[in-house]
Amino acid sequence: MVTILQLGLNGLALGAAYALVALGFVLVLNATGAVNFAQGDLVMAGGYAAAILASALPLPGLALLPMAVGAMALLGLAVAALAYFPLMRRPPTAVFVSTIALGLVLQNATLALFGPEPRTAPPIWAGEPLRWGSLALSGQALAIIAVATLLVATQGWLLACTRLGRNLRATAQDREMAAALGIRVNAMIALSFALAAALAGAAGALLANQFFVTPSSGGALILKAYIAVVIGGWGSLRGAVLGALLVGLFETVVAAAVSYTAASALLYAALLAILLLRPQGLFGEAAGRRA
Amino acid sequence: MTTAEPPAAPRRGFGDAALCGLLIAGLALYAATLASPYGLRVLTLAGCQVLLVLGYQFIFGHAGLLSLAQGAFFGLGAYATAILGTRYHWDFAASFSVSVLVPLAVAAAVAVPALRLASHYFALATLGLAQVALLLVLNAGEWTGGAIGLTGVPGIAVLGETVPRGLPLAATVWSLVAVGACLSWRLTHGLTGAAYAVLRSDAIAAAALGLRAGWLRFSAFLLSAGYAGAAGALQAHTLGVVSSETLEFSLMVTCLAMTVIGGSTRIAGALLGALLLTYLPEWLRFLEGYAPLAYGAALLATIIAAPEGIAGAIEHAVRRRARPPTPQRPLALAPRRSRPAALEVRGLVKRFGGIVALDRVDLAVEPGEIVGLIGPNGSGKTTLANLLGGFVEPDEGVMRLGSRGLRGLGADRIAREGISRGFQTPVLPPRLSGLELVALARTTTAGRIGFLASLRGADAGYRRRHLEAEALELLGGVGLAGEALRPCASLPPSLAWRLELARALALDPGLVVLDEPAAGLGAREQAELAQRIREIAARGIGVLVIEHNMPFLLPTAHRLVVLDRGRVISKGKPKDVVQDPRVIAAYLGRERFSA
Repeated sequence: MVTILQLGLNGLALGAAYALVALGFVLVLNATGAVNFAQGDLVMAGGYAAAILASALPLPGLALLPMAVGAMALLGLAVAALAYFPLMRRPPTAVFVSTIALGLVLQNATLALFGPEPRTAPPIWAGEPLRWGSLALSGQALAIIAVATLLVATQGWLLACTRLGRNLRATAQDREMAAALGIRVNAMIALSFALAAALAGAAGALLANQFFVTPSSGGALILKAYIAVVIGGWGSLRGAVLGALLVGLFETVVAAAVSYTAASALLYAALLAILLLRPQGLFGEAAGRRA
Repeated sequence: MTTAEPPAAPRRGFGDAALCGLLIAGLALYAATLASPYGLRVLTLAGCQVLLVLGYQFIFGHAGLLSLAQGAFFGLGAYATAILGTRYHWDFAASFSVSVLVPLAVAAAVAVPALRLASHYFALATLGLAQVALLLVLNAGEWTGGAIGLTGVPGIAVLGETVPRGLPLAATVWSLVAVGACLSWRLTHGLTGAAYAVLRSDAIAAAALGLRAGWLRFSAFLLSAGYAGAAGALQAHTLGVVSSETLEFSLMVTCLAMTVIGGSTRIAGALLGALLLTYLPEWLRFLEGYAPLAYGAALLATIIAAPEGIAGAIEHAVRRRARPPTPQRPLALAPRRSRPAALEVRGLVKRFGGIVALDRVDLAVEPGEIVGLIGPNGSGKTTLANLLGGFVEPDEGVMRLGSRGLRGLGADRIAREGISRGFQTPVLPPRLSGLELVALARTTTAGRIGFLASLRGADAGYRRRHLEAEALELLGGVGLAGEALRPCASLPPSLAWRLELARALALDPGLVVLDEPAAGLGAREQAELAQRIREIAARGIGVLVIEHNMPFLLPTAHRLVVLDRGRVISKGKPKDVVQDPRVIAAYLGRERFSA
């Protein structure tokens, strides 16, 4: 019983980090109708940003996190400028390919600059594990859950309650109508990319402490985020968060009970089954076909 | 019997053929004179990559779908060859066939559900498939050698004799590449290639032509899998080892990069892309760690700056001036079949959420009859046209053409069954010429389009000339013969309606539905349009014209049907209908009527 609870808590922490990745994914998908395949590599870049900043500045992790996130937002703007805006009037497949290419560039640039050896980022909170009977939740796992909750809530507030959020949502729903209403559509799209990269960066900085980060560690993440988004239903932010938590829990529990390979295989099989049987996702309604 | 002068078909394939010839000649010269044993080995492996890319062009280039399973199909072919060769000592012919068939079978199994999915869903489903394949190979160690892989794959044996490594092996592999290239040429350089171009550019235009989108995508996916399996088998024979690397995502990305950089619809593109990316790492050794970086940057730069890849860029740069049509032997054309059929619509209901767009609509169009459909904005006219064309599904009611029920058939099927739909804004694929477009429409009713048809030569040689002669006759009938070779995008509205009409007639329709055809036309054009519509009706084809323009419609239509808020409020002879108080009320507003 205790083990199951323990696993559940660990899974929740992992799922919280996935949620940040998946949220960024949905933001860009909604704003542009295109899939950003470099999202996983942005997570990796966020991990490196945190690790590099930590080696340059003698500051605690909590202070470094906003800096890493800020740097990643800038990188997000660069992604939009290089891989999205030149291709906006082309079929969505073109953006898919350009973001795959950009991911390749990010990976190899990181490899060339910092080498293949794994890095770690400083912990956000280095305190003693929180104990509750025989349950233990490491400070970092707690920090991940806390930071992710904060960021998800902030994003929810931003989208639901602010004028900027309204403009973002209007752009996502109908770009031409938004433009006709005087919303600066391209600025909103660029902002979506920046926000997505910032969320990915936060996820990277958080994960890079518990797990090592290497230049190629983005690849697996993109699939996890993708699966979370599929489970949650395309375009649904709430669904993406739920999906990510489910993926994190499932992965942690099955990996502990059977093996990591089995967890991955089952996840992919579940993904195929959901795509084929219920393409609108497990939760929420269909977000419409964005063919 | 009529005769028509077919113009020379636009020879878009020429640049591709010339480029391929140059590349092959250069490679042959290099292989025969300069290449070291190592060089020959690299050349042989490059041949396998060419085959892989040729296959990927079917699904990615022609069908326009991002499949991420091409690497998995390649790996499946390689493992099939390795397992059959090392464990069971099968000979080449047998193991090669199985290596092609295994990926084909897997593709066929997943294609039916996967191809229903919209673009990124399809990408994701194929990526999932690739991941499952990789995990299977890693975990079925007894069969696949797990992460280590299989060694000792025998070479290619023909008639009990193993082909020696070096030049003979390179020549064997490249001959198979040549077979694959010729097959791909045959399949994609006819009207089937044009059909895929329409499918990529505009799904509605493809449906209006009656193209079977599902079948076209399915066959492209299967072909890509078969080519990948062949490429994997040849690579396994060449290297002698197979490892799980062949199934990893990086190989898939390399294949994608080769296809995009070389050019995704041209044979020369496959050659250029595969050769460049095989040799680039060799040439870029001085860059050391930065080589893969250069390669990612090159992929990004190509997709932005040269959407048709290097081969496309070369072809555009050395474009020859267009040749004037050269007269050829006139072809005798059989009179086209006509299939008069009455349209019958009863109790048709369509709701969008809470809004009832069409409320129990009845409508009939007899063969040879011109029926005008009028009504205020938002009364449901275009919705009705969309339902008749199969672009939207009705909620209730009956739609029949002759004895054929139309509900649930899908837009392409309905176009083939005899309802041709013209659009308010002409839906024409921009880069195709009018001649190609109408010739394509001629093929679909007869089932002469698709890879199988191309393989039989249904769109080549004499038959193609015949199709083009028919198309030219149809274009002549709408006064467009002189513009037959112009790309659709360059046609002004005064000519575009003519092409829409020619395309509609090319399907041998029983009924033509026109949505505001006179919009934006001058008085002379309108008079000519009315004349053409009368000619169509005189041939026994029913015409349903949706129109606001009463001076145009009143003298043309035999009957009028008036819709208001989704209901038929009046029908009958034009002169009676325009005096019907209900119609006047609908147009002028109820208050004024009651006042």
